[in-house]
Amino acid sequence: MKTARWLAAALAALCSSAVHAAPADPSLVERGAYLARVGDCVACHTAPGQPTFAGGLALDVPYLGRIYSTNITPDREHGIGKYSFEDFDAAMRHGETPDGRRLYPAMPFPSYAKITPEDMRALYAYFMQGVQPVAQANREDEVPWYLSARWPLGIWGYLFADAEPYQSDPQHDAAWNRGAYLVEGLGHCGACHTPRGFALQEKALGSTDGADFLAGSHVGGWFAKSLRGEPSQGLGNWSIEEIVQLLKTGRTRSSAAFGAMTEVIAHSTQHLSDNDLYAMAQYLKSLPAADGSVAAAGTATLRDDGTLAALQAGQYPRAGAAVYVEFCASCHRFDGLGAPRIFPALAGNPSLLGDDTRSLIRVVLEGGRMATTQHDPMAFAMPSLKELNDQEIADVLSFVRNSWGNAARPVQPAEVAEQRRALSALATAQ
Amino acid sequence: MTLLTALPIRALRKPALALATVTLLLAVTPAPADDSAAPKPTPVPMVAPRDATIPGGPEGELIQYGRRLLTDTKRLLPDKVGSSMNCTSCHLGEGKVAYGSPFVGISHRFPQYNPRAGRDVTLQERVNGCMQRSMNGTPLASDSHEMKAIIAYMEWLSKDVPSHGQVEGMGIGDVNKKLTPDPVNGQRVYVAQCASCHGANGEGMKDAAGETIFPPLWGEHAFNIGAGMARLFKAATFVKQNMPIGIRLDGRLGQGQVLSDQEALDVAAYFTQQPRPDFAGKDRDWPKGGKPKDARY
Ligand code: HEC
Ligand code: HEC
Ligand code: HEC
Ligand code: HEC
Ligand code: HEC
Repeated sequence: MKTARWLAAALAALCSSAVHAAPADPSLVERGAYLARVGDCVACHTAPGQPTFAGGLALDVPYLGRIYSTNITPDREHGIGKYSFEDFDAAMRHGETPDGRRLYPAMPFPSYAKITPEDMRALYAYFMQGVQPVAQANREDEVPWYLSARWPLGIWGYLFADAEPYQSDPQHDAAWNRGAYLVEGLGHCGACHTPRGFALQEKALGSTDGADFLAGSHVGGWFAKSLRGEPSQGLGNWSIEEIVQLLKTGRTRSSAAFGAMTEVIAHSTQHLSDNDLYAMAQYLKSLPAADGSVAAAGTATLRDDGTLAALQAGQYPRAGAAVYVEFCASCHRFDGLGAPRIFPALAGNPSLLGDDTRSLIRVVLEGGRMATTQHDPMAFAMPSLKELNDQEIADVLSFVRNSWGNAARPVQPAEVAEQRRALSALATAQ
Repeated sequence: MTLLTALPIRALRKPALALATVTLLLAVTPAPADDSAAPKPTPVPMVAPRDATIPGGPEGELIQYGRRLLTDTKRLLPDKVGSSMNCTSCHLGEGKVAYGSPFVGISHRFPQYNPRAGRDVTLQERVNGCMQRSMNGTPLASDSHEMKAIIAYMEWLSKDVPSHGQVEGMGIGDVNKKLTPDPVNGQRVYVAQCASCHGANGEGMKDAAGETIFPPLWGEHAFNIGAGMARLFKAATFVKQNMPIGIRLDGRLGQGQVLSDQEALDVAAYFTQQPRPDFAGKDRDWPKGGKPKDARY
């Protein structure tokens, strides 16, 4: 394997001697920089405390092992400095590098395949001329030998990745198409939000592939909720304006992004133009609910069901109410409405009602900090309340899932115990 | 002595106790010379019982009522409370938070000498001290159902603490008093780290129903000039340990410990000096002298 890589690299080096970039138009480089933000390349290609785009971030791939993102600065030895435009295009669209490697789909090339040729040129111009070269060697992956052969990835790519640039859908207007292009393509929202199939492929790569697209998925100990039209668990009750606010600032009047989404906002979406954000939101709002049965699993409609009055009167007959008053009400308050843009509302908040409760349990166990953006002076945090036992957490989450008009199945203590175990395994792996 | 006057427990008649407090809160300060042979109470870890363990029956109902009075004071006692505040606006997290002036262990520590009163005060009197100053309100009668409930809750919180009442994290901690506060920088700190919640003009924030979400720091609905919080060092100490809330991933409320001593003093110098209600009884304070230099009158 190694020899093969080396040979291929040597060959590639020979062939690429012709490659050298003529200085590109600065506005092209600038556009490329913007597109790199949309694509959130920095999130995966920069390790904590390391130079930007120099790679080295560890990514744990289920069933496979640990791989490291690579150096994509224009350094000629360690980075992609010797890539021609065609090389770059092949890596971005097909997951094939000039040295003959097949990239793991941890690099979201199945989504990036939708990038238009013009945008690909802008990205290339940016990476070649707008990024500082960094001479940092790539790290060897930690994958068991019997899984480390990369050739099956070619078959994977053939089977699952659709390598066509985005085709405009004439049934929709320009803004919708722009939104679809950004969400399905560079934004690679599906990498986290679309459920994966038996070979870890995203089950759908676009709105035309069916109702699995952005229907919610589990990623790295978080549940990335549905971005489709379910009123309960998805974005059915969100306005376009709210979606824009969330992507731009990490919060709305009544909710706050948490977990993996905060990084997407901090690195990527906060920097997008309002036009692009509105386009994305318009597109997301057009996705119908995944199916009727999901919508019935939980509902969030802000409604006076007597919870506020009972808490104010000191009546806590339901399990979890007393825990809520003692540990949560200082911030989320008796009315479950929190404080606008400071503490998210739990009342009427679809993030609480999914059947997959892992994010919810994780927020209570680990706490969380809102995305830090240029738009708000402070980013607030929820403290870790892991001192609560499994029964208390199950009770309090069942309580918030069924108060102020919320309705969802109760949370079991065993789910909390399981998430505690999973998170401590995740922590020791790091 | 100047140190002691700023400490929560004015145990001047119990030097050993004072010593324990000083070493607890100010590990770096040399302990005052004291050769008394009395055994020094060792502070015990603060373990607050869960609300869910409040017993049933009339006894439990009284405790529950007391807890509710402390956390929902303004709404439950509108005629008694002048400010837009609850006791737990300062005694954070139901009086269970270390360095948030907790009530765990407190019932064992009273009656206690109080230099501001110049005599021993009972726990009931201490509660009324905060009622009249911090809450800018009127005192509760000692034999009222409300006062009994508040004391019952404090006793319940203290039930597992040894009789000396010393717990780790009692009081509000301390701040370096040698620094020179800079209210101009304090205003900058306020705008950056406090105004999101306490408002551009210190007015706090209310919800649509008119209930306080974030209490005011100055103006007519704030604590009055007789309150401990109106004093520079107390305010700075409180803020350093407890404000902002929701800023860290640990602590019961994700509170405090993000400002340096200097920043805490600066911001305290800024907000304590803003206009606030007067305190009618101020002339009777510190009858035996020893008025601290950060008193507002
Ligand atoms: C979700 C994580 C992720 C994101 C986002 C991502 N990448 Fe990658 N990328 C990877 C990983 C992991 C690899 C290495 C995969 C491997 O070794 O098989 C990689 C490899 C590459 C390579 C191949 C480099 C080489 O020769 O090894 C290029 C080029 C690349 N990425 C460009 C980009 C660009 C440009 C963007 C933004 C538009 C981007 N990536 C965004 C994870 C990511
Ligand atoms: C790295 C994984 C990841 C990627 C990539 C990602 N998300 Fe998310 N997203 C999450 C997780 C996890 C949540 C659930 C936490 C939450 O609700 O804030 C979430 C939640 C959301 C929410 C709901 C927020 C709320 O408060 O209810 C929206 C809207 C959203 N994502 C939009 C997007 C869009 C649009 C994209 C593509 C630009 C995207 N996400 C890409 C992980 C991701
Ligand atoms: C100190 C204030 C504070 C306390 C106490 C607190 N929370 Fe939170 N909570 C927050 C903040 C801030 C967020 C947003 C976190 C983020 O964006 O990462 C949050 C987020 C959440 C969320 C995710 C909802 C969303 O849309 O972001 C849930 C669920 C939640 N809290 C439940 C609870 C429960 C249950 C308790 C008590 C056991 C509790 N919280 C106690 C401040 C608090
Ligand atoms: C504006 C803030 C504030 C409010 C509101 C407030 N207090 Fe206090 N309280 C303080 C401060 C400051 C101290 C002194 C803490 C110290 O010096 O360690 C204190 C001390 C006390 C003490 C003595 C604590 C000890 O450890 O010796 C009691 C008892 C007390 N308060 C009860 C109450 C009650 C009951 C209420 C509501 C009726 C209340 N407080 C409202 C700020 C406040
Ligand atoms: C996230 C919102 C938030 C921020 C930011 C915040 N506070 Fe507070 N503050 C509170 C809450 C809430 C309380 C009441 C505690 C409770 O009810 O649990 C409080 C109470 C107080 C009190 C005692 C009660 C009163 O009104 O006098 C003071 C003093 C105070 N804060 C000062 C500050 C200072 C100074 C800063 C900036 C360094 C700050 N706070 C930042 C939310 C905040």
